[in-house]
Amino acid sequence: MTLLAVTRLELRRLFVRPLGWIVAALALGELGWRFALLLQIFLLNQVKLAALPDGPGYTDLVAVRMYSSFITGSPLPLGMIELALLLVPLLTMTTLASERSAGTLPLLFSTGLSASRILLGKYLAVLVWLALWLLFALAIPASLAHGVTLDWGKLAAATLGAFLGLAVLGAIGVACSAFASHPAVAAVAALMIGLALNCINLGAQLAGINSGFINWLAMSTHQETLLRGLVSSADVVWFLLAIIVALALGVQRLAADKERD
Amino acid sequence: MNAPKSALSPVLQLEGVARRRAGRPAVSDLSLSLEAGQVLGLLGVNGAGKSTTLAMVAGALRPDRGTIRIQGEDFLERPELARQALGWLPEAAPLWPELTVREHLDAHGRLRGLSGSRLDEARDGVLERLELKSLSRRLAGVLSQGQRQRLGLACALLHRPALLVLDEPANALDPVQVVALRTLLRELAAAGTAVILSTHQLTEVTAVCDRVAILHEGVLRHDGALSADQHAALEKTFFDIAVHGRAQAA
Repeated sequence: MTLLAVTRLELRRLFVRPLGWIVAALALGELGWRFALLLQIFLLNQVKLAALPDGPGYTDLVAVRMYSSFITGSPLPLGMIELALLLVPLLTMTTLASERSAGTLPLLFSTGLSASRILLGKYLAVLVWLALWLLFALAIPASLAHGVTLDWGKLAAATLGAFLGLAVLGAIGVACSAFASHPAVAAVAALMIGLALNCINLGAQLAGINSGFINWLAMSTHQETLLRGLVSSADVVWFLLAIIVALALGVQRLAADKERD
Repeated sequence: MNAPKSALSPVLQLEGVARRRAGRPAVSDLSLSLEAGQVLGLLGVNGAGKSTTLAMVAGALRPDRGTIRIQGEDFLERPELARQALGWLPEAAPLWPELTVREHLDAHGRLRGLSGSRLDEARDGVLERLELKSLSRRLAGVLSQGQRQRLGLACALLHRPALLVLDEPANALDPVQVVALRTLLRELAAAGTAVILSTHQLTEVTAVCDRVAILHEGVLRHDGALSADQHAALEKTFFDIAVHGRAQAA
């Protein structure tokens, strides 16, 4: 299937380039350090927490907080979602922009592939890479599962939230790469859109408005629910909509390449 | 009994194809056809519309007007025809610098629907034929220009297409490789492959092509058969069109 041939090609390119590995290694290093600090804070407060009837445990204070500082209110900077805002654009910037600048994009078109297959194939490869990154990140808190009481349901919901967030950022990154002629432009655009999508409701929240369209628009609103362990179909639909809109815009732009001067 | 459509139709048929680029007509009302086993040389000065024509034939660029048929099927309606019927070597042989020679061929093969033993056989065949075997593990980014060109050609040939579209295929090849390329193209033509190639070199056309088309300012000015002893006549026709065409435009 040609879609999978594009995915395989893109995965190969991601695996042989040092950038992807450096990004993943640095991110996992930061997450490991974050885990050690979160665990230390948890152990320091363990006695106090044990006295609370429904107090938060390892899952709330360590495992879920690995994913986000901004949403979970963790005292430490840069959880996985915040890191992804910075790093996913670096991973996705070359997907189509470098094909365009190297002249290999017309070659892909000449194999009879449609713009949607090229873009979807590339997106799937990015998704596989991000899923692997998430699995490695999940393995850090899960490694203590034998010694602590882990709420697997809550962790699964939070992991789903993190994965959907990564999937949205990946789709935005690939779409920006479809629009840009140079990878750096794609990375900057994806970073700005990702940040805007995550923080668009900050002003409303500071004004005490916690509902309404502006809050619905923000990715953090939907991730917050999932990170609390609640899976709502309305939130999942938001992520799917965001992915579809980003990819549809990317496909439209890519298809225009055959028409352009 | 009716013969299949593809057996009766020319491998490539262009009718009234036109395309504007950078606000001016790059190709105007171009009509030509190519039968199986023919080698058509597309000549023209820089900016004549050769690469635009080949990019449209390869499916990388959509014409503003006109129809392109490959083996009798409307290529614009069914771009997926390119997958098996067409091989394209663009000018400067664009490659993925981070992939090896072998990975390039595997990727192109899979994009063309080859897999398993068919892919292995096709890959090994072109590696051998284009003398790339010793380079198979080398990254494309460190290949010389001539090696890049041979790899680009190998990618275009891998799936044994019925139509081979080559944009300046002899670029950066040394004289020995040029002769090998000519031999290869004649062999492919003898086996029934239709070849359309663009070049600046008249000697290249007379050495390998059995037909020549001359484009000037996007318009087809000459289309005729060619034999090996017609170099002088071709040179005169080409310069008449190129120089007089320019003079008229000025």
